[in-house]
Amino acid sequence: MPTLDSIGLEILSNALKSINDECFVALMKASYSTNIKERHDHSTAIMSANGDLIAQADMSLPIHVASMSGLMRCVLEKYGGDIHAGDIFVANDPHTAGGTHLPDVNFAAPVFIHDELIGFVCNIAHHADIGGMAAGSMSGGMTEIYQEGLRIPVTRIAQRDEIKQEILDIFLLNARAPQERRGDYYAQIAAAKLGVRRLHELGSRHGAETLKEGFQQLLKRSADRMALALKEVPDGVYEFEDFMDDDGVKTIDVLLKVRIEAKAGKLSFDFTGTAPQTAGNINMTLNATQSAVIFAIKSLLDPEAPNTQAVIDCVDIQIPKGTVASAVFPASVAGRAHTCQRVIDVVMGALAPALPTLVPAAPNGANTMAVFSGIDPRSGDPYVYLETIGGGAGGRPTKPGKDGVQTGITNTSNLPVEAIENEYPLMVLEYGLAPNSGGKGKHSGGRGIRRIVKPIGHQCIFNGVGERFRNPPWGLAGGEDGGRGRFAMINDKGEEAPLPGKTGDRIIEQGGSVLMDSPGAGGWGK
Amino acid sequence: MTWTIGVDVGGTFTDFHARNDVSGKELVFKRPSTPHDPGEAILKGLEELEKAHNLPLTEIARIAHGTTVATNALIQRKGALIAAVATKGFRDLLEIGRQVRPHMYDLNLDKPDPLASEAMRFEVAERLNWQGEVVTPLTDAEASRVAKQVVESGAEAVAICFLFAYLNPQHEQKLRDAILSLKPEMRVSIASDVQPEFREYERFQTTAINAYLQPRLASYVEHLASGLNHRVGSATLGINQSSGGLMSATKTAAFPVRTALSGPAAGAVGAAYVARNADRPFVITLDMGGTSADVALIANADTEITFQRDVAGFPIRLAMVDIDTVGAGGGSIAWFERDGLLKVGPISAGAAPGPACYGQGGTEPTVTDANLVLGRLSATGLLDGALPLNTESAVSALKPIADRIGISVEEASLGILAIAVSNMSRSVRRMSVERGHDPRNFTLMAFGGAGPLHARDVAAELGMSEVLVPPAPGIVCAQGLLVSDQKEDFVASVRLPLSQTAMAEAAKMIGNLAELAHSWFESERLPDEGRSMELSLDLRYVGQNFELIVPAASGANLTAQDLPDAETLANLFFDAHDRAYGFHDASAPIEIINFRMTARGRLYEQTQKNERKENSGPPEPESTRTVWFDSNAGIETPVYRREKLYPGLQFEGPAVVDQLDATTPIFPGDRVEVLADGSILIRLQGA
Repeated sequence: MPTLDSIGLEILSNALKSINDECFVALMKASYSTNIKERHDHSTAIMSANGDLIAQADMSLPIHVASMSGLMRCVLEKYGGDIHAGDIFVANDPHTAGGTHLPDVNFAAPVFIHDELIGFVCNIAHHADIGGMAAGSMSGGMTEIYQEGLRIPVTRIAQRDEIKQEILDIFLLNARAPQERRGDYYAQIAAAKLGVRRLHELGSRHGAETLKEGFQQLLKRSADRMALALKEVPDGVYEFEDFMDDDGVKTIDVLLKVRIEAKAGKLSFDFTGTAPQTAGNINMTLNATQSAVIFAIKSLLDPEAPNTQAVIDCVDIQIPKGTVASAVFPASVAGRAHTCQRVIDVVMGALAPALPTLVPAAPNGANTMAVFSGIDPRSGDPYVYLETIGGGAGGRPTKPGKDGVQTGITNTSNLPVEAIENEYPLMVLEYGLAPNSGGKGKHSGGRGIRRIVKPIGHQCIFNGVGERFRNPPWGLAGGEDGGRGRFAMINDKGEEAPLPGKTGDRIIEQGGSVLMDSPGAGGWGK
Repeated sequence: MTWTIGVDVGGTFTDFHARNDVSGKELVFKRPSTPHDPGEAILKGLEELEKAHNLPLTEIARIAHGTTVATNALIQRKGALIAAVATKGFRDLLEIGRQVRPHMYDLNLDKPDPLASEAMRFEVAERLNWQGEVVTPLTDAEASRVAKQVVESGAEAVAICFLFAYLNPQHEQKLRDAILSLKPEMRVSIASDVQPEFREYERFQTTAINAYLQPRLASYVEHLASGLNHRVGSATLGINQSSGGLMSATKTAAFPVRTALSGPAAGAVGAAYVARNADRPFVITLDMGGTSADVALIANADTEITFQRDVAGFPIRLAMVDIDTVGAGGGSIAWFERDGLLKVGPISAGAAPGPACYGQGGTEPTVTDANLVLGRLSATGLLDGALPLNTESAVSALKPIADRIGISVEEASLGILAIAVSNMSRSVRRMSVERGHDPRNFTLMAFGGAGPLHARDVAAELGMSEVLVPPAPGIVCAQGLLVSDQKEDFVASVRLPLSQTAMAEAAKMIGNLAELAHSWFESERLPDEGRSMELSLDLRYVGQNFELIVPAASGANLTAQDLPDAETLANLFFDAHDRAYGFHDASAPIEIINFRMTARGRLYEQTQKNERKENSGPPEPESTRTVWFDSNAGIETPVYRREKLYPGLQFEGPAVVDQLDATTPIFPGDRVEVLADGSILIRLQGA
């Protein structure tokens, strides 16, 4: 390694990216589930010896980064001083092990050069099932964490390169489709081992000291960079509040509230006043909230900044324990993605007066999800078809918002219509932009997506989870609100009957169909 | 009628590689491109070639052409006003795409606007089901209604894509005919012709791009063909496809989308040809030009094919040579990121103003400036002094970088090269390590104007032990065109279980594809002895949503009998799954998604390697110059002319090899051997 100047650090950072990308691809290739292979619902990262995030794969997801960093704190707390070459740690629990919801399973493995701990490689993957009361472990209506699946505390799954099979067996016994899970777990272990080998090679080539010093320099540069970005927010106090429609069980109008104080380039976020944690599973743990705040800050001020611990720690967050955005045991959290979207909305909303040329109007603000299930009359086999549906993106100070696209914390793709109809006994009658759902304004908000789906030759079950069905995406700078989302059943006479935003299981008779409109987005300017 | 000519049109230069099919004589020629009409450089270049080399135009039998007209029209959004027609209920498919945004955090970076604006998107009442059966018939009245709308919209071209029409093209054909009966000169692309393959968005997008490019490409090739006809007489014109094979001018006018990656594909085919000549069947290519570097992997002396990639932000679903492009070229600019880290590229000084040392007004420090300061490039410059380089301008452009870091200009230059090398190494890793190949088992082949300058560092970074520099590194694309086959890819998209009982249906599909191939051979009038066919299947486990391409059979004339049995195919699939994903499941059911047939007609006969006389002794250096190989000091280094390095010659670095269009530094301790075909093989020290 040359000197750790602007050149040496760039080359080191490139080498770290390469390791993360290689592990990312290795995990994707070796895994079994579509979720990882195709939707890329996984991430990889490299941490320093004291658990600071140093670098991540380009395709890593923001919420995963918070989770991996959360795991590291817990590993060091529990095992610090008793960590050895060949160890691998695993965890998923949001309440005790830094996770954000149970299906995301974290792995971390230490890297030693000549008996000196220089860092960790981490990976995380969203498993298609982690047990619990409902297939997929994500359904609405779960009210405590125990219903959501297997809770894994920080656990040493491998010691001196030997996997503790009996622990893995517990995991497998507690999940649906254990064959597929086994493949995914082994893929994660293989990716961790690959990362250890690669980081070890890099460390051996350049020496432990250079690598450790390089990590610190990268963190410092990253901290300086974020400080520079935060200076763009003028001093002042900025407040905003918004509501979630409901928690899927009973609570309606769940309040999210933020007060941001900007002073001499420092930003503090106070979420005091946010609604207490709910019975339904829209709760989020603090580190999920942190990742949503960071998402908003980075999007506005420095989208290209590489994610590091310095980015995660660049702002101060105050929030009393036990709110929907700082949930504690035994809160259920599987549906935290919806709330994440709303935290981003309130942070953006608060900063709009401070950064009027940067902040867009509210996007669709949801993670609209539809599940169709039943027995395929063509084969007699059961099927489950899950889709997450994009929506409108907010009108911007410079241009209109995009139609029909994923926004905020999620960016997963759709399933082609021809794939749906090939694989499931369903017919898509319409797939297009929801009419009039873009908020009017100088720069209009993007439109939501309309899907109409009908079962063919059988009756099926529909379960949908939506948000912004009651509280529309707000317009900004005089722009109008965007269209709300809605679900409806259409009978064989073409008559519509509205469904709630979090439907629970509904039977759709033969001849009937389901209409799903995801929300549009607010317009910007008059 | 003895000459064949490969013409590669790039942004800056148009390259010619001519070969006399009788004597085996080869000529290489370069002239400036004419971006306003790329064909002009071709026609003028041929005339210049005739004068300069006594190559009578009437003696030209065949011209093979690689073009960037399509790529540029797509990048610059300078295609036609198109109408897009979809099944009722699906008008917005082109807008929604796969509903993902291109950047996780950037709120202002959007996927490109659809090629057909909302007012130009139309719906038709018609519907097929998943088996291709008609659910809602397309009535005559509806077809005429929509045809009228489309014609009245003012569209210059039309793209039609209906759900499941890849299984049954009747409705698409009916609407096309209705439009043509109203306006016979309208250019209409239907998805079932362009790419009859599963997945509506990618198929529609590919068809829309075809329509978007059609008026421009059609007039380009028609204009070029008539220009050639006028000057050259009866020479046949072949246009290179992204898959690395030629098609006729007529096919190009009908399917211009197939030329979206025409240029880079020619490079990979040329590299495969060089690889065969140099007896290096496993190479990774580094084709580095002014703005970017293309990396491709060649195994068994053949290019790897992919069936989907993005061009200008749009997915194209067609057979294409698998190439990774990274923004690292001679013109790549060095700049400081907000965190103070030094970056190189992807911003490029391009051809104008070009690097600071070109003296054409460029002031930003580039990779070329760094190479000049380090003595790796000669101040005499490329093209034998036609483009001299100004070291002072390079130094003054680089000085602010050196000063800000607090190092010498030479150290800063070495740093810039090291960063460019680390960017290219990542690309090589993507194409090799991430696809299950160990780069250490490959030779790195460097070409393009800048490839040979950096290949050694890239190889060292990845633990590769050999670098191969072709005889004419600046002209590999044109050479690839010269040796390309005529080629056509056919696909049939039918979902079948991989089982012995489904093999009868499969055999029927293959019979159909073979028939298509045969009529293509006939219509292209390809001689019997050069014909060949390759059959491959896209297979996947039931429930998976991605396929692996499994080569199933190849031969001069395939028939349905050549389809291996289900068990053999399953084993081939397991091998492919192992290679791609590291495991397979022998008990899970497999299904067939696509049948693919590639038909080729060989146009080029590979001749003996160049028989040059063995050189008797070590070469005499032309001169010496100071070259910095590391940050310690510049060392006086012998400079050799490439033309004087004969096969069999061996020597050790430090040295520099200069030639018309490329420079190759030989590092201290590295061993050079000139191979029988004239290629330079560099063995890295300690390897």
